Formats: sequence, C-alpha cells, structure tokens
Amino acid sequence: MLPMRTQTNLPGVSTIGRRQFLRAAGALIALPALESIAAPIAKAATSTASAKNLVSIGAYLGWHQKAFFPKEVGKGYHLPTTLAPLADHQNDFTVFSGLDHRAPNGHGAWSNFLCGNAPNTYSMDQIVADQIGQKSRFPSVQLTAGTGEGSKAMSFTKRGIGLPMIQRPSVFYKQLFMSESDKARMEYMLRSGRSSLDLVLDDATRLKKSVPQSDGDKLEEYFDSMRSVEKRMERQISQINDPLPTTDYKLPDSDPITPNLLMEAEVLMYDLMALAIETDSSRVLSFFIDGLGQVFSFDGQPLRSGYHGLSHHGNDPEMIRDLVSIESAHMVCLNGFLGQLKEKKRPNGKSLLDETIILVGTGMGDASRHSNANLPTLVAGGGFNHGSHIAIDQGKQDAPLLGDLYISLMQRLGVETNEFSNASRNMNQLFS
Amino acid sequence: MRSHITNALVVGLSLTTCRIVLTTYAALRKRRPYILLSCIGATSTLYLSAKTELPIPDAAYEVLSNYCLDCHDEAEMKGDVNLDLISIDWGQKDNRDLWEKAHYVAKEGFMPPAKKRQPNEKERATLIRWLDGKLLENTPIGGTPPRRLSADEYRSTIRSLFDLPDYELPLGFPKDSEFHGFNNVGEGLVLSPPLMEAYNKVAELIADTIYPPARKAPPLTTRTAGPNDMVLSFSAGKVVDDSLLLVSRGHEIFRSCSWPSRMEVMSSGTYRITVSAAKHKPTWGGPMKLEIRARELSASDRSRADIFRLLKVMDVPSTEPTTITFEAELYEGQTLLFRWMNADMAHDYTKFAKHMEEWFEKDPRWLAAWQHTVFPNGDLSKIRTSVIRGRSGWEFLNKAFNDPNLDMSRATMDDELTVKFLELADSDTGMFNFADILCHYYFTNGPALEFHQATIEGPLKTVDGPREMLAKKLQKRFTGNRIPGQSDEAFTRDILERFLPQAFRRPVDQETIETYLDIAKRRWAQGGDFDAAMHLLIRNILISPRFIYRLLSPGELDDYDLASRLSYFLTQAPPDKKLLDLAQKGKLSDPQILRREALRLLPQKPTDAMVQSFTSQWLDTNLLPEIMPDPVFKFSEAEITIAEEEVEHFFSEILTQNLPMTDFIDPDFHYTTPAFAKDNYQYSQAEKAAMKSSSMGSESELRKLPLDRGGRYGGLLSQSAVMTATANGVDTQPVLRGVWVLENILGMPPPPPPKNVPALTPDTRGANTPRELLAAHTSEDSCATCHVRIDPVGFVLENFDPVGNWREEWPKTGIPIDPTGTLPDGTPIKDVTELKSWLVDHIDFFSLCLSEKLVTYATGRVPNFAERKEIETIVHQNREKGNGFQDLMLALITSETFRTK
Repeated sequence: MLPMRTQTNLPGVSTIGRRQFLRAAGALIALPALESIAAPIAKAATSTASAKNLVSIGAYLGWHQKAFFPKEVGKGYHLPTTLAPLADHQNDFTVFSGLDHRAPNGHGAWSNFLCGNAPNTYSMDQIVADQIGQKSRFPSVQLTAGTGEGSKAMSFTKRGIGLPMIQRPSVFYKQLFMSESDKARMEYMLRSGRSSLDLVLDDATRLKKSVPQSDGDKLEEYFDSMRSVEKRMERQISQINDPLPTTDYKLPDSDPITPNLLMEAEVLMYDLMALAIETDSSRVLSFFIDGLGQVFSFDGQPLRSGYHGLSHHGNDPEMIRDLVSIESAHMVCLNGFLGQLKEKKRPNGKSLLDETIILVGTGMGDASRHSNANLPTLVAGGGFNHGSHIAIDQGKQDAPLLGDLYISLMQRLGVETNEFSNASRNMNQLFS
Repeated sequence: MRSHITNALVVGLSLTTCRIVLTTYAALRKRRPYILLSCIGATSTLYLSAKTELPIPDAAYEVLSNYCLDCHDEAEMKGDVNLDLISIDWGQKDNRDLWEKAHYVAKEGFMPPAKKRQPNEKERATLIRWLDGKLLENTPIGGTPPRRLSADEYRSTIRSLFDLPDYELPLGFPKDSEFHGFNNVGEGLVLSPPLMEAYNKVAELIADTIYPPARKAPPLTTRTAGPNDMVLSFSAGKVVDDSLLLVSRGHEIFRSCSWPSRMEVMSSGTYRITVSAAKHKPTWGGPMKLEIRARELSASDRSRADIFRLLKVMDVPSTEPTTITFEAELYEGQTLLFRWMNADMAHDYTKFAKHMEEWFEKDPRWLAAWQHTVFPNGDLSKIRTSVIRGRSGWEFLNKAFNDPNLDMSRATMDDELTVKFLELADSDTGMFNFADILCHYYFTNGPALEFHQATIEGPLKTVDGPREMLAKKLQKRFTGNRIPGQSDEAFTRDILERFLPQAFRRPVDQETIETYLDIAKRRWAQGGDFDAAMHLLIRNILISPRFIYRLLSPGELDDYDLASRLSYFLTQAPPDKKLLDLAQKGKLSDPQILRREALRLLPQKPTDAMVQSFTSQWLDTNLLPEIMPDPVFKFSEAEITIAEEEVEHFFSEILTQNLPMTDFIDPDFHYTTPAFAKDNYQYSQAEKAAMKSSSMGSESELRKLPLDRGGRYGGLLSQSAVMTATANGVDTQPVLRGVWVLENILGMPPPPPPKNVPALTPDTRGANTPRELLAAHTSEDSCATCHVRIDPVGFVLENFDPVGNWREEWPKTGIPIDPTGTLPDGTPIKDVTELKSWLVDHIDFFSLCLSEKLVTYATGRVPNFAERKEIETIVHQNREKGNGFQDLMLALITSETFRTK
C-alpha cells in the first residue's frame, strides 16, 4: 500500500525522492563488478581522452533565458534564479549564452538540441556512442521523464532514425540490474534463437539454389545480415554468465509516469543514471525532460497554469515566475545528480563527475515565441575548468556556434573530429 | 565497354591489333568503313561483311560526330561518357542504359549544351530515330530484382497475417531510403544487419504478443489515493480544504478529469473499489453524478474520456460525504479516472458560448469584467486570449469584477465587444482558454464535486486482461482447431501447411514444412511445451527470406508473384485469399480476371494506404511535417493537416470517379473545407458552400466544392500542400518548384547536376528579386544547360507564397512579381493559368509522367525504354477513350510491363 502523502515543497522531490538521493549517494551499493572493471578504467584515463561518459539532458519547453543566463560574464557571477539550486557546484559547471545551431524554429525542430542545424539527423550523443559506446554493456541509453509525447526522440542514429526512450524507471532498472528470472528468460531467448537459426538458414540456402543466379546473389545481403545477428547472439551467450552489477537500491512500487510526477521521475532517473555510470553499464546517456499541460503545486499552491501554458507567458511577470519555479525544480533534481557524481570516487581517487561530461540544454530558445535561437546551455564535469559564464556575441563575425562547443566536448571524450553539423571549429580556446 | 570490341571483331586478330584499329577508327570512319576493313585484310573483310555491321549507321554517326563526339569520344570522355564505339552489345543492360540516356538528353534537348552548336531538327530526328529502333528492339520488358518488403509493406503484412489491425512498428525501426522518388523501389531496398536485428526484434515481440511469457502471481494489495494524490492538469481540478474539486465536463481528460498518479494496477483482476465524494456549494437539488472509468495510465493525457471503460456512475446526493464500494475488473496498467458528468460547465464549442451568453444575460457585471480582461484597450485593437490562462486569467477577471470603477457602459448583449467575445468563445482560440479561467470561478463559488478518497483492493481474483484475451484470440487464429486426439506433431504439421503459404505468399514444398517442423520437434526434445514451440516457430517464420522477400521464384513472374504485385500495389498489403486462390488455379494472369481483381482492390477512400503512400511520395507532400511555415503566413498546424488531406481526397476523387486526367491540372472542383478554400484559395463561394453542405457534416470535414475552370486556383499546381512542400516555409525557391514541375508533372526531369559543381558565388549587387539572383545560373555555362529549363518554369509559380497564398509583390521590396516563363520546348508562358491551359492541351505529358510514377511504385523498378513505349501507347489509347484516370490505372495493371518480372 502506498502511504497517503500531502503535497511537498517541490513536486516530486518528495520524501521518497530525498531519501533516494541519500541512499544512492551512500555506500549501500554492493558492486562486485566495480573492482573487476577498475583496471580498464584506469587505462582509459591515461589515454588522450580525459572524460569517458556523456550525459545529455534536454528540456522540451526550454529554459527561460533571463532566469538562466547570468548577468555578469566570466567567473564569480551571481547565480540567476533558475541556477540557484546548483550553488554547491558553481565551480563544477560553465554557463553558455549566445550559442545555437542556426536551426529552424518551432516545437517541430526541437531535436536540433543534439542534432544541430538539421533536426532529426545524426545526433551528437550518437556520434559519441558509435565511437566509445561499445566499451560498455549498453552503447547508449535514452531516457525520458514524462510521457515523451513532446518530442518522440532526442537521439538520432547516423541514418536519421529517432531512438525510442525509456519512460519507466522500473524498465531501466531491470536492464541495469537484471533479476534471475529476467536473466533466465534472456538466456532462453538467445539459446533457442541461436539453435533454430541453423534450420532457417538451411531453408534459405535451398531457396537460394532454386532461383536464378542473379537473384540468388541478391540474397547474399540476407546471409550477411543473418551472420551478424548470429555473431551478436553468440557474443551475448558467451557473456551470459559474466557477473552483472547488483544494488540494493530500491524503486517505489509504482512508476511515476503521470505528468504531475515529472520531478519524481527525474529524481529516479538521475539516481539510475548515476548507478549506470558507476557500474560502467553505459557511457552515453540521454535524458529528455518532457513538458505538457500538467499543473505543478508548490507549497500546496497550484501554479497559475500548466507547464506548457506557462511557457507561453507573453512576458507576464507572474506567469514567468511560476515557469521559472518549475525550471529551478528541475535544477534541484540535477543538483542531486551532480552531488552523487561528485561524491562517488573511483579507486584512483577520481570522482565520477571528473570523468563525466554533463550537457544541459534544450532545442528551444524561447518557448513563448517558439524561437530556437540562443539556446540556454550548461556544461558540468568532464574535467574542464569551470565556474564561468561564457557569453558569445552572436552579432560578431566568426561567433562560435553551439556545434563548436559540441566539437570540444566530443574531443574531450576521445572522438577525433573537427566538425559537427554546421560547425567546423571548436571552443577549446574559450573552454578547456 | 572496350571488351565487347573483341566479341564483335571475331576475325582472328590479336587484341593489340584491335586496339590499333580502335584508336584510328573515329578518323577512318569519317571516310568510308570499307577503307578500314580493307586495312584489316581480306579474310576479315569477308567475315565482317557477312556477319557484323558497324554499330552506328552512317547518317546517325554523322550527327553524333558533328555534335557529340567532341566531348564524348574516347579521348575526352566528358561525364565518363564515350559514344564513339566500334561495337555495341545491345544485350548488355549497361550499354542500353548509356544509349537510353543519350536518347533522353538528345530528345529533351539537354544536350548538346546550350552554348554549343545545335543540330537542326532533321539531324536530331535522325539520331533519335536510330536509337528508338535499336533500343526498342533490344530492350526486354521487365527486370525487377528480388526485393525485401518495404517498412510500410512489412507493417501491413504483419497486420494482415496476424489480424493485428493497429500494429505499429517499434520506434527506432530503420527507415527505407528513397530511390527514384519512392521508398519501395527494388534497388533501394537493401537488407542490412541493423534491419535484420530489427526484424528479429519484431519477430520476438509478435511471438510474445501471441504467447506471452509466464508471470508470477500478484500479491494482494490495498492502495488509497486522497485529494493530493490526484493528477491536476490545466484547470481540471483544484485541491481546496483537503478535498479535490471537479467543476467541468469535457471530452479530453486533461481538461476536466482527474486520476490517481500512483495507483497503477500491475496485474489484471477483480478489484474492490471504494470511492467517497460530496457535493460542494450546490445550486440545485438533484444528485451530482460522478463517472468512474478505468484509464490506462500510459495513455495520452489528450485522450478522450469516453475511450476508457465505464466502471460505475456514482450518485452524490448531498454535501455530506457519500461512500460507495463495488467490485470491478481492472486490467494491467490501469488506474481509475473521475469525471463529473453533469457539471454546469462544458469544454465544448457550442455549449460553452451558449453558457457564457446565458450567464451574461443574467449578470452584466461579469460581462463587463470579461470585456475588460479580454479587450484591455476597451476596443478590438488588442485581444488577449492565450496570454491569460488558468489562475492568472481568473485573478485578473476577479479583480476587474470587484473593481468599483469597472466600466459597465458596454456590458450589453449587442455591443461589438460582446459579439466578438462570444465569437471567440465559439472557436478553439478562445474557448479552451476562457473555459480554463472560468473553472476558477467555480472553484471559488461552486457548484463543484468534492472528491475525497478512492481505494483499490485486490486482485481478489485474477482475470484475463486485454493482453491475455488478445493472446488467446491470436493463438486460435494461428493454430486453428486441433482434431480430437491429434498429436502435437500432427497438429503442428497442419498448422504449418496452412500458415506457411500465407506467410510466404505462395505454395510451400514438403521439405520446407519439414524444416520448420524440426524447429518445433527440437524444442520439444529439449523439454519445451507446445506453446513454447509455437512461440519459437513464429520467431523463425518471420525472419525467413521467404517472408521478408518478394519475387523470389524460379523463372518468370508467376501468378503468385502477380498476386503479390497487384495486392501490394493497390492495398500495400499481402494478397488475400481470393487472389491466392486465383493464383493457385492459374487464372490471375488472364487479363480479364486481372482487370476484375484490380477493380475489386482499387482504393475506395482517401485514407486508403495506397492513396496516402503514393501521393505523398509522388508529390513530395511527405515533406510537410518537416516544413514549419513562418508564423507570418498564419498557416496553422490544423491547416497543414487539411492541406495534406486535400491532396488525398483530390486524388481519390479523380480515381474513384474515373475523372479525366485533365482534372489533375484544371478541375471544376476543390476538395477541402469551405473555410480553407476561403482563406487560401480566394474562394468566393465559401459561405454559400458552407451553408449548403452544413448538413453534410462538421465544419472541418473536407468536401467537394464547385469551381470554375481556368482560374489560378484548382488542381495540383496550386494546392497548398504542393506549394508548401516545394518551398521551405520561409521563402520560395523557383529552382525547387521548377525541378518539381519538370519531374512530377511534365516528366522531364533534368539530369543530376554534374559532379564537383562549385557553389555559385555570383555578384548579386543590385539583385532585388529571386529572378535577378538566379540570373547567375543562366550566365554560368555549366549550369545553364539545365537551369534555362528549370528556372523559367519555377518563376511561373512565384505568385504563390511559401504556403500557396496568392501574392502580387515580392515580400520586403514590394517589387511586382513577374510570373512569365518558358517551357522546355520554348513555349512562352504568361502565368500559372496559361501553364495550366498548356498542360491541358498537352495532357499526355502529364499522363505519361504519372503513369511512369505509378508503374515505378507498382513494380519496384523504373520503367525502361521499351516499357515507356508501352506506357506511351496506353496513354495515347486511353486519351482516345475519354482519358479517365481509373481506366488508365487498369490499363497499366494489365500491361505487359506490369505482368513481367
């Protein structure tokens, strides 16, 4: 039975949420796999790449620019309202203003966040995943808090296919920490699939022989593809008894998937992402924060309008205040995540935050006008020199693009590239 | 190509000698071939004159030599093309393709380049006549390679095979690449490892749907949700004094319903449900009625309430809490949904405006407060609808109401502000926002329904949920009935003998059946039960090449291939039983029967898969979702949808009514909504049409509207969807529209731009219009060849802005638009109406173009030279017979081209 609960100060950052922060941050995790993977990590750290994980976080309705961009430039700026919850980590992140992809406007082009100038094309996280993702169990992971209805996908493959997002924390949890029965099912599916494949291929070979040579040649595509499936199955079968990470982290017995529990879902997803990074289960994670008509309540008082309604604030100061209160609530959740990554240390003393780049942004610059220019952007961790507000004057010739920042991030992750979408430089001069 | 030379000159010469011959050939040829032959020697001469002719007759060679070979000989090889050949093996497809290309560019005048010396008409004709003859004589009809199902076909095949009509491919399923404008062309349908993985995944999911994996028995739990555990969206509910108030009724759940956010049932069963509620500040005596429904927690918040199963209507008679307890079935993933059925206020157009009107008549002070809120300037110069929302709007309204200085002077029912307000309240711009504000009036003043608490205990008993019920139905369909006493093996053999031919769309031999039976037997040998074997069989059948591929049969296109071709063409789905029966009897290839079956399967509705898939790919309207018109054009998302539907209705109307081909260009009707026609097509009869057809359905329903022929609007060339798809949402690009018309209407696609074209950096100082900017194309030699044909066609459509609205001036500069242009044959065109009338007079260009697209889509190959000739004949004959579109479709289906592999 779920306890009756009264509305707490921040929607979703309820007692459960706070407790989970503490638990996940604490030493409650039994992690046999950690020691065994310690060696390869140490090796990776000595190579040219100084960061090895990428977490990209995108808010569908954007971040209200005036409450996100600091007034002062450089170090020692005063934290603006939205970022105030991150005060403990001010020297662990950098705020960027004046960057975007020069992409089309509107909700429909939202995916420019990670795709750059052309929405729905090869996204930055997938470029990274294709380069470094294979080193972990899940080459990349896509998560959403909320239904994911706003944008069907945030990450896109090389061929422009939008990747589905996991909405239920329990589903992601089951993937990370497989139960015995899940494992048995997976093993059954692999073994039965692998053993019957021979017969299907026998039949396919007979088919090939029955058709004219040129048609049979066309079938080589089929045999090649099947061989690749076969290899993948064999690899998985050979790894089936590899120890999987375990945890005593517990999820609530109901997934917070309704829109009003957005913040609660965020907290759980952040906890799970921290666990995924700690166990090196995945190095490339993308997290979408949806926004619909849900009305949040703070201190028992519902806001003036639903989240989406507030984003169309028309410069009404009270609407903006309510909107910003939601956005700072997102930052409270993020703050918990940064805190966990900072506290958790590898055997070599390096924190998870040092080896993880966290990109926080959006594809929408100003939801009130549906403009996708000047995208609020924040980068934390990854061993960069942080603590500044880097303001780019878009009017200047040669002003860097958001893609130039992405190039710097990718290089830090060991991806050798000098271009991304419409960008072909980097921001290493300004940010390293 | 050089290797074929040896084949032709089988004269006992060494290869080296051949080469010498070749290099001197062009020069020698200009004199007489005999000289060449005599050079080679007497024996060879004899042989050659007896067996081999020179490949290019003198007359044609002279034209080639004078106009083509300067660039396209062995030495120059411009564009990798050498036409100076000593022999041509017409049996090779590569050679035919080369000469087909030469034929096309010569015929359409793309070659020689504009700046070069041009052959006269007679010379051009000589060359073309020779190629016509040669190509026709040597090009066999047919040639589609075996092809896997396209993603769309694959989805429909699964739908039809397993009777899962709403099945959708999982998100992340690889997309098909477009080839020659369509996603179902053989050459483009390659199979790759990621796609094979996706097939494998889908096979597992389908097997799991039919035979769901076993799950643990659920524990008995009790869950309670109070007012603070409920979802509040928009102004649907508000918590006041520890109870949740519901105040409105509406269709979409996020406007007027509430549901517990943490009470998702994890397994299907019977549950004991307890709900308590009370009246809040009632204004009337009867009971309030609370609807309790079962909602899927993962369903969209935009869902309509009535799609969810009604569990109970609860009477709430008094302001003292009433509690009811009842038992009901709840299925996995569901929670409770609450709606106050007889609320005063409805989120519903007609009812809402009426509600406001009645209210204002009773209380003019509220009218004045609303006027003040929505029209802050006291007149129509500023209208606030979307900015004031929810509580914000309510606070503003309430403040105005309580302001002693509130201006009451205009609070009469006939004032223009009142009229405008009621008009807004009757439209989606105003209604939702006003209603959201008004909810707060009820939260404050009542009446409202107080929700106190809901409890779910269970499952008291496990029941089959939709998942289990569906699985049982699908199992039954997959296995059929077991003959009493039949062994698992015999039963499975029956299943395979029946199911495999359906899945593979043709008869299946005994060996294949045994192979699949072995899969089941092995499973049993390893301890699996009957269901486990069926699960495994489904997984394997769906990854067999016999399922994934079409056209994998020995020899020519047989009746089964034909059944698939016809069915996938017209319905995007596999052949039905009737077609397979006809194929089995060998009757389908009978043209009469084929025609009859085509008529049976021909699309009937604009929503049919063929209409949507074909039109969106042919006309590029599948680009619309990615084009976001600039807000200055005021082209709403709803309008984009209507524009897309218009194309489908238009196509479907011409097809089903067998209207003449000319109606595609200059019809006597629009197929859209009166409002859309009025806003976008300057349609003056809109009001009349709306009145006349109001009985036909809702405002947003598309309908046939009468139109005078010969105007600027009407037909494909002015439809919003097309004009939007051929622009980029911000400005128009004459080049895009020019290419589009050449490719999709005239059927004269320009060859692709040469490789390594440098980006133009023209001197644009003083250029004010796209026409002036594009002048650089025609002054630049390498571009001019094609752009002298492309750009002038595009200019004709410049009167249509990026969403297809008429304009006379360029935006910003205000310079009048000059829509004059030229057709590829040099015909001057004054404007779009003249373009349309030219097309009507020369309708075969269009008919041929559309026919080729249809044949490409249907057969999965681009028609070759001989096939185009056949199509040309069909088009001409069809014109003689009234030029009906349906007739043309049927003639194409019974053509040799369609009936050949």
